Amino acid sequence: MTTFTTTQVGSWPRSKRMLRALRDRRTGAMTREAFEAVAEEEIRRTVRLQEGAGLDVLVDGEHRRDNFYSFITDKVEGTRLMSLAEMLDEMEDKSGFEEMLTTLDVPASAIRNPTCIGRLSRREPLAVDDLRFMRTLTDKPVKITLPGPYLLTRSMWVWAYTGKVYASQREMGDDVVRLLREELLELAAEGCEFVQFDEPVLTEVVMSGECGRRTFM
Amino acid sequence: MGEELGYAAELINRVVEGVEGTRTGLHICRGNWSTREEVLLTGDYRPLLPALTNMRVRQFVLEYATPRAGEIEVVGAALSGAVPGSQTPRELGLGVVNPRTVEVETPEEIAARAEEALRFYRPEQLFLNTDCGFGCFANRCVNVEEIAAAKIASIARAARLLRERHG
Repeated sequence: MTTFTTTQVGSWPRSKRMLRALRDRRTGAMTREAFEAVAEEEIRRTVRLQEGAGLDVLVDGEHRRDNFYSFITDKVEGTRLMSLAEMLDEMEDKSGFEEMLTTLDVPASAIRNPTCIGRLSRREPLAVDDLRFMRTLTDKPVKITLPGPYLLTRSMWVWAYTGKVYASQREMGDDVVRLLREELLELAAEGCEFVQFDEPVLTEVVMSGECGRRTFM
Repeated sequence: MGEELGYAAELINRVVEGVEGTRTGLHICRGNWSTREEVLLTGDYRPLLPALTNMRVRQFVLEYATPRAGEIEVVGAALSGAVPGSQTPRELGLGVVNPRTVEVETPEEIAARAEEALRFYRPEQLFLNTDCGFGCFANRCVNVEEIAAAKIASIARAARLLRERHG
């Protein structure tokens, strides 16, 4: 039995080249094929570094992802990638939100949200292709990271947009559960060794009151 | 607050219910969008325990390299038994390096941290990992590749030390 198994949480620093590719892909200046070629090279290097370091369970570094939850807009129907700056216009408490971003050192233009603007369904798998590519690079076990259902249910709901499509946040939550479960079942069927769901906002629920602040997710 | 946490537990359980053939984990942290530690959240896991104990995931992947995350016994005492409704022992993915700092934690420091967790977890229940990612937001990566590589190498060295000492 393996003891003290070593791994990472998921994301790796992006190179200048990867950041340029992410930007160009977002604006439509780069084809998906060209983008994939850049990302695959970055992932290859990240895998070699982890093998060299001697980690047991490897990640792909999330190079293709804008951030760990916004990336689902590439894969899920009914979503739109929106910067926090864009969302500001729709905020009820605009000045409060702006002040929070400044206090927390959050750049409103650089952080993007997967806003729900229509009924949600998977256009393509969220991460099954990531797993398949990892299998071509390494024989080691792989960890795939996905945004947690609570994080998505919270962040995707922006009343001005989502309220027109879903009767309530909980109704949208049911669709979030469905698409994550579909993905988990497919990853399990592919033999993925480890699937990690990220729920960073849980701390916010219990700690932001204590700290007198709330965050942006 | 209690209702929100209960809902979060319900959601994850509906996602993972009955799924076999893969290890499921849940990661929690206190923010990773800035290298200014003082703007990130502070507090131990105690208020989350009622929700976490009900979650049917095998592993909690938790920040513990920052003092903002509190003491290990909070989680160790409550979350080291079996996953509810199963015989499978829970695992802890112990955060042992801070992804936002330039200082690289030494293997000895990491091993000492893991040994505190051995009061609650057997070596096969204990994973060693980073506290969070090195670049959760592409445009706001919290470190550079050289330091990230040194940090994961340190984790692997710590695991070798621990295996020599504890099998």
